[in-house]
Amino acid sequence: MAKHGGWAGKVLRIDLSTGRISSEDTVEKYKDVLGGTGLGYKVLWEEVAPGTKPFDPANKIVFGTGPLAGTGAPCNGRTAITTLWPTCWPKPLVASGHMGGQFAAELKYAGYDGIIIEGKADRPVYVSIMDKKVEIKDARHLWGQGIRRTTVELSQQFGPEVCVAAIGQAGENLIPMSVVMNAYSHSAGGVGAVMGSKNLKAIAVHGTGSVTIAGKKEEWEKLVKLHLSLLGANNQHVVPSSPQPWAEYYSPGSRWKGSRGNKWGASEPAIDTGICDPHDLNTIAYRTNNAAFYLGDIAWKYTVRGNGCTGCPIRCHTMIKVPSVAAKYGISEVGMNTCGGLNFGRSFFRKFPDGARGMTSMEACMVGMHMSDDYGLWCNYSQLQRDFLKLYETGIIKNKLGEKEFNSYSWDKYEKSDPSFLFELLPRIALKQGELATALGLGTGYMLETWSLSEEEWKKDNRLSYWKMGHPKHHASEEVGQCGVIINTQYNRDPQCHSHCNFTRNGLPLELQKRLAAETWGTQDAIDALGSYTPMNIGKARMAKWSLIRKELHDSLSLCNWMGPWVASPLKERGYRGDDSMESMLYSVATGDPKSREELDRVGERIFLLHRALTIRDMGTKEMSTQHDTVPEWVYNDQEKRPAYTKGTTHLGRDDVKLAMGMFYEEMGWDKTTGAPRAETYRRLGLAKVAEELGKKGLLG
Amino acid sequence: MSDRHDISLQTKETIIDVIAESIRRKSQAGQLASENEIFQELLNRDILKGDREESQRLFKEALEETLNRYEDLEKLPDRGEGPRFYSSQFMTQSYTRILLQKETDLLLLIAEVVRENSAVYPRPVSLDLFGDSPFNLSQDQLQGYLQQMAKEEGYRDIKQTTTSAGNVFLYSSLHLEPDYASMLAEWFDVGQFNNP
Repeated sequence: MAKHGGWAGKVLRIDLSTGRISSEDTVEKYKDVLGGTGLGYKVLWEEVAPGTKPFDPANKIVFGTGPLAGTGAPCNGRTAITTLWPTCWPKPLVASGHMGGQFAAELKYAGYDGIIIEGKADRPVYVSIMDKKVEIKDARHLWGQGIRRTTVELSQQFGPEVCVAAIGQAGENLIPMSVVMNAYSHSAGGVGAVMGSKNLKAIAVHGTGSVTIAGKKEEWEKLVKLHLSLLGANNQHVVPSSPQPWAEYYSPGSRWKGSRGNKWGASEPAIDTGICDPHDLNTIAYRTNNAAFYLGDIAWKYTVRGNGCTGCPIRCHTMIKVPSVAAKYGISEVGMNTCGGLNFGRSFFRKFPDGARGMTSMEACMVGMHMSDDYGLWCNYSQLQRDFLKLYETGIIKNKLGEKEFNSYSWDKYEKSDPSFLFELLPRIALKQGELATALGLGTGYMLETWSLSEEEWKKDNRLSYWKMGHPKHHASEEVGQCGVIINTQYNRDPQCHSHCNFTRNGLPLELQKRLAAETWGTQDAIDALGSYTPMNIGKARMAKWSLIRKELHDSLSLCNWMGPWVASPLKERGYRGDDSMESMLYSVATGDPKSREELDRVGERIFLLHRALTIRDMGTKEMSTQHDTVPEWVYNDQEKRPAYTKGTTHLGRDDVKLAMGMFYEEMGWDKTTGAPRAETYRRLGLAKVAEELGKKGLLG
Repeated sequence: MSDRHDISLQTKETIIDVIAESIRRKSQAGQLASENEIFQELLNRDILKGDREESQRLFKEALEETLNRYEDLEKLPDRGEGPRFYSSQFMTQSYTRILLQKETDLLLLIAEVVRENSAVYPRPVSLDLFGDSPFNLSQDQLQGYLQQMAKEEGYRDIKQTTTSAGNVFLYSSLHLEPDYASMLAEWFDVGQFNNP
């Protein structure tokens, strides 16, 4: 059995100031934090001083993969990118973005588990990693180009196998609302400008190696097959969206859209997705069609196929071909993305003349993708669009802009929900042209500050979905009650955690969900029916802890938290049970480092704790419950003033939320009042030195 | 044993194979199998031939034996159109309920789907559901049934709610309160897409 499979073995360190390129042993230095966000948090803790700003050369960007990236494990392929966050307001703190695509696998095949980018180049550069040959190269010919042109140029230079992660003009212009993107449509939000501040245009990577699996071939193959058998559709929805012959249950909320008669209409020949029996592992890719999920059945006609990350069978990025947009808007007739990226363009408009699921809406998606994915603009989980709508509809834009700038926009087009309006807005944001575009490009927090707008106003309006520190909620109380609230308090941007809502939205009937909840979190009361919330209990605190730990584990192993964990499955013969040990089984066999579910969860908890420590250190306070883990006002409000926990409402009670936070802190081993982790908790999780350092500053719980 | 007996046994085994395969194939295709269809298939494939009465006797014998032999092959109660058969390997009981009810009483089918969804998940049901497979009702048909429901005592619990997107959802007041149904409809029609 090979020693330490999974990991490629080296973490690359590239100093753009000095041009020095070196590497470190992954297992020796970073095994205790696995990779991904764990790697990122450790580097920032040890090497980036408090008070550093995102665009300072002293800031670092850590591109981290994990031991499962590039293996045959389903749903691997994520790269976590950790840095000091430009849109984190009022004070920049640590955060991560994630991108899928092909980057993680290529980096592993080249022999690296991560890249630590330091310093700042004195001119635009890109990094090329061709197996062991790593170089910093002149990018002046690429600077000013969009992501697509950059990708094409570097692909022509290094060959079609190369994976290019690039920023567009938005990142170059230090627009905080910017991304890095690889493989056409896979972006990590929020980091584009940090790369831009370092004059780093792109990273081109190609590897001809492979990833070693420590365990026996048969054992690994059996495990991969088990994992495949437990998969549902995107977001681990385990029932189809409409009745199917093989299915006992179905849910209109399910992303499992494949069905006989639903065809990839723009593929040649058209492909009927068929009944997608869950036992047929060769048709997993037919289950999900996110274009149809968001844009309606009209999207089937325009669907070419599903696309996605290396080796992932889910294919959640839908490729759509809409011939009419070429002549109408002068853009490519092919677009591809998922969720926020897919909806980037249409989210700027309140409604469309032919409805939310008509052609105009689809055209707006195509126009939006065309520009955002090339300029490299970030939506901040559609907060950009919600802010724009609020600013326009309340007259703030008109008040704030000078007459000349205001009149330079075709507001009549916008009023008609004409997608061509986006050609006036999006380039200006990327190129920082005009006051409106500049404000929007800052991100919500700095936009509010620049325009002297009240954050409290944003926190009261539930249509804005704003949470705190310049960022929106991401699966909060509107669907997972107190557990969702707890999760959304914990990060320095939106949490990007799907562990909890993948479960609650899986489509199974409530009784089955409660049975699975009891098996996983010790009580069926861990979950409530949507809109029929009950007061806080220990099960919900456990579920919140589990959700956060698993999110960090996924982001450090390179598993997709948009798909896992795998508590439920589509298999009736298993009682719809998945396997909550999936992560630990994959990790153990791949690396040769056997860990039970509980043991690996402790590693995940360690990684999450490191994020907490970083936040506390850089905020300079241990009063996390009042200074950081805050909850916006809209969580407590009901438009019809009904009491909390009335059926048909999703707002919560203040005292109950306070109780929820206290129970969560206790579950985590943190001070119940301040929310600061205690010394013994750090020590228990192998972070004694962290405790020591925080102790000297009086920042322990 | 005589040659004739051997041939007869062989034929019966072949018939059993075809019956099993036919039921499973239809189930996989989302359809129930009827006695007439299976019998006709055997005739068309020349497996049954000759005297009609003898063929039917042989068929019925083989059918019974097939159902006894294979655990996955199930017989559904006769609702007046003859018994139906399905394979539990490819079709669930809940799906057979939809197909059976579709053959006999569409009004009741709609109500039962709405009631089941309201009780079990719980959630209201979009009208759009009934336009898709396996219901395949036209808009006119659906509106006709809804109007009929509104007039009949036995369907008083079937209520409507309209979302902010203008789409109609049905729910059963036996299992969902109006506010709750309205909130859930809004989530499934609008809210979940605003929370990708």
